[in-house]
Amino acid sequence: MTERPEGSNHAPGGRVRERWINLALSAAGLLSLMLLWWFASRTTTFVPSISDVIAAVPAFLDDEDIWPDVVATVRRVFGALAIAMVAGLAAAYVMARGGLWGQVVDRYVSLMLGIPSTIAALLALFIFKRSEIGVYFVVAIITFPFVALILLQGLRTADRHLDEMSDVYRLPATTHLRHISVPHLVPYTFAALRNEYAHAWKVVVLAELFAVNTGMGARFARAFDRFLLVDAMLWLLVFMIILLGTEYLLLLPVERRVLRWRESGAATP
Amino acid sequence: MTDVHRTETRPEVEDDYIRVENLEVSYDGTTLALADMDLVAGKGEFVAVLGPSGCGKSTLLHAMSGVVRPQAGTIRIGGTAVRGSMGDEAPLIGYVFQDHRLLPWRTVEQNISIVLRANGVAVTEVDGRIDRYLSMLQIDRFRRSWPMRLSGGQRQRVSIARALALQPAVVLMDEPFSTLDEVTARLMRQQLAELWQESGQTIVFVTHSIREALFLADRVYVLTKGPASVLDVVDVSVARPRRYEDPMLTELEGRIVDRVMRVWGYEGPETTDEAER
Repeated sequence: MTERPEGSNHAPGGRVRERWINLALSAAGLLSLMLLWWFASRTTTFVPSISDVIAAVPAFLDDEDIWPDVVATVRRVFGALAIAMVAGLAAAYVMARGGLWGQVVDRYVSLMLGIPSTIAALLALFIFKRSEIGVYFVVAIITFPFVALILLQGLRTADRHLDEMSDVYRLPATTHLRHISVPHLVPYTFAALRNEYAHAWKVVVLAELFAVNTGMGARFARAFDRFLLVDAMLWLLVFMIILLGTEYLLLLPVERRVLRWRESGAATP
Repeated sequence: MTDVHRTETRPEVEDDYIRVENLEVSYDGTTLALADMDLVAGKGEFVAVLGPSGCGKSTLLHAMSGVVRPQAGTIRIGGTAVRGSMGDEAPLIGYVFQDHRLLPWRTVEQNISIVLRANGVAVTEVDGRIDRYLSMLQIDRFRRSWPMRLSGGQRQRVSIARALALQPAVVLMDEPFSTLDEVTARLMRQQLAELWQESGQTIVFVTHSIREALFLADRVYVLTKGPASVLDVVDVSVARPRRYEDPMLTELEGRIVDRVMRVWGYEGPETTDEAER
């Protein structure tokens, strides 16, 4: 027999072309942003010029005090996101099972979805005063309902046919969990993680503005209070570089690797 | 094609290896899917179950595999009673579904090894079995491929390899070729007939195609419209290897069509053009 696998007729030239187009679009986007920045610096008094900011970069990077604040914010983002993922999975599981507790959690999730990030940050400040736990609390409480809803969708779309196959072949519960339930939820977990990653960064910085004296948000607030506009702009750039860098250089490659079975390209497990 | 031993006679049959008696299965306690169903298959026999769509053929296989608990009647396989949620004492059963039901996130070899390992096949033996059955089904070059990369026919072959690699005494097949194009389906029927003759496993094959049932089986159970019970049992005494266009099969097909036409009505099975003439 001479059957060929599906998806084996992709032209490699097409993929390369697509990559170049994406690169060109990204460059165009960056260029337009620079133009806007240049225009804003020329027409206002509060936006520093590009050349001033670039000139301040070496001194900024030489300052050893910035790194503990960057690390503090990164730790808070990842820690709070981990809490939100666990809480979101638990909430999704309870909602998927239904019943009284499912309805109760469903109401809580709906309620949390409606709380604005600023109000949550202020509430955390009242409750936890100026403590570290307040930041984790705010980020987790703001992001977990979104995680819960995406994972709930995953739990509700579980493939009953695969469950039936598992029953027929008498797969033990642990095998079912490892090879059917968890892999099915992985794409939903990544979707939730990607959606809430940028959200978590924004909320962490916001919480740091109000609640603590450390972290990038606190440094941003300090620069703003002292009207150090170049510093404020530098912290904004650091924020964007870390957020986009970790998303494109860490999260997306890991996701592509884990979900490579969905691509029609060559399989090299 | 795989080089297999071909015989002109039916395999040795030890009667009564599978015995289904007075089986009654209903869903939700109200909708009857099987009513007073009987079926007997000897060890190493190829039995086809033929019935119109929705008559309860798949339910019969579900009950035989232990996934569905019957309301009444008995199922015995190899002397062991089959009940819902079978325990370890129940005989191994291979199952080929209408759709492949492979795990899309596991490679072809992982799909097979997971089932083998879960059913107690030694690690040292797993690789050899995967090699053997993928080669037999001529898909060994896709061993490390993801199921999504394969065509429908290739996926269904993996599903068959998974069922056979378990080396079960009984293989249940639920319209495994119904979603394939006719040319691929014919090739796979041929391949299945050869594999069965080589393995000597007992196969219960559900289909709504009369010609397919006659081409493959030693005996065909013709069912009524749902809730299913046995309308007729046809012995197919045609020498193997068989040709799909064998005139004897055409004649038998015509007889079955005559028999079931009034019972099944226009919702009846697929027939070949020759039989319809």
